[in-house]
Amino acid sequence: MSFSTMLSTMSAGMLRTFLIFALTLIGSLPLGMIVALLRKSRFAPVRGIIKAYISVMRGTPLMLQLLCWYFGPFYLFGWNIGSWRFPAIIVGFVLNYAAYFAEIYRGGIESIPTGQYEAAEVLGYTKFQTFMRIILPQVIKIIMPSVTNEVITLVKDTSLAFTLAYQEVFSLAKQISASQTSFMPFLIAGVFYFVANYVVEIVMSRVEKSMDYYK
Amino acid sequence: MIIEMKNIEKSFGGLEVLKDISFGVDSGEVVSIIGPSGSGKSTLLRCATFLETIDGGEIVYMGETAAHTDESGHAVYVSPQELRHFRKYCGLVFQQFNLFPHYSILKNLTDAPMRVQGLSRDEAEATAMDLLGKMGIADKAKAYPYQLSGGQQQRVAIARALAMKPEILFFDEPTSALDPELTGEVLKVIRQLAEEKMTMVVVTHEMPFAKAVSNRVIFMDGGVIVEQGDPKDVFDNPQEERTKQFLRVFER
Ligand SMILES: Nc1ncnc2c1ncn2[C@@H]1O[C@H](COP(=O)(O)OP(=O)(O)O)[C@@H](O)[C@H]1O
Ligand SMILES: [Mg+2]
Repeated sequence: MSFSTMLSTMSAGMLRTFLIFALTLIGSLPLGMIVALLRKSRFAPVRGIIKAYISVMRGTPLMLQLLCWYFGPFYLFGWNIGSWRFPAIIVGFVLNYAAYFAEIYRGGIESIPTGQYEAAEVLGYTKFQTFMRIILPQVIKIIMPSVTNEVITLVKDTSLAFTLAYQEVFSLAKQISASQTSFMPFLIAGVFYFVANYVVEIVMSRVEKSMDYYK
Repeated sequence: MIIEMKNIEKSFGGLEVLKDISFGVDSGEVVSIIGPSGSGKSTLLRCATFLETIDGGEIVYMGETAAHTDESGHAVYVSPQELRHFRKYCGLVFQQFNLFPHYSILKNLTDAPMRVQGLSRDEAEATAMDLLGKMGIADKAKAYPYQLSGGQQQRVAIARALAMKPEILFFDEPTSALDPELTGEVLKVIRQLAEEKMTMVVVTHEMPFAKAVSNRVIFMDGGVIVEQGDPKDVFDNPQEERTKQFLRVFER
């Protein structure tokens, strides 16, 4: 197999890897905020459930979680899981990353001084306005470095989809390497992840710079 | 009367912080509140500005009741929507300024008038520039809070409160977080507002200022009003032993 054939075969895997990455972020960034807010709910049972969810997500391997999401419906309900592979991966990633993002958001929200809430309250802002206009913009600036870390980890974590035999770039690299007895696929995969994270770093540092206008 | 607070009771846990406090402020009046730390001055202001809820008593703004004690002895407030109407009557200047760091000075002054009161941008900016001019910091409109000195930040905070056109403005130790050389510029603008007959209640440790600017001084200690009256009487001829003791500390 020539280098260019290898590359073109693997590029389909790169696209799938990117799909996992993008859908995970689209799902988990907002979901994490909802989780973070529920974590501070007035209702103790809600807080309890959210706390338990977060500690399970953080306390068990993502690989194991992916296996559970994929095989769970079959073992528990005897469902046909033929077309469930990709959705299971996305559900697993989104729920796992939402838990991590929720903790990052929570830390950010708690670091905003109460004086900000009080100033807004006296000025007559509603609770919703206070959160959206006063609190959230400051939280986003504070949490940016932690979010960047998480996004970089996600780029690498996408390779865990190989456990469900999903043909993303890592799975393909392994397969092609075995069938062609070549080291090249691993090298291609390595360069791919590295370049992807390089792009992430550039984009995130741009975003951070754009918020440098205040302290 | 702009505000009347009658028989205000407030506890935190078991700690009684305000014990049957009553006071009112007339239009154009400047009232100073003095007293040792922990006497309940901030709590009183926070109750008046609805940051804290009272346990008992009555809060009346412009003749309209915002909170009163029902037959069972509990304080009941008007609905949250109606409370928003009462919030328009009062402003509060904090010890720590509490400016919004992500907003420019101008936006700190225009955002609430636009988002809360529905003013147009032009109206809000005209008012804001006017106020910044009065505070002597019109040239800082485009700056961000972190670029200003403490004294300038506090003047912005005063302007931000005034931009909402409150009937009464409360100040909670507005100069206590400032370096001594910066307190003067803040006291000057408060004095200027007093000359313009802005109704104000100022919690302060600046005794000469309180004496010179206020129409009335209230001395609080242990959650009660110990003594109040004309500043000359309270400062030069205090009647209560606790007042004398407290003022002696400041004479040195
Ligand atoms: N949110 C709160 N929870 C519990 N105790 C409080 C709270 N706010 C104030 N206190 C207590 O109430 C008392 C009066 O406080 P404060 O009104 O801040 O006094 P001052 O402003 O005169 O120094 C103090 O003993 C203080 O510890
Ligand atoms: Mg205080």
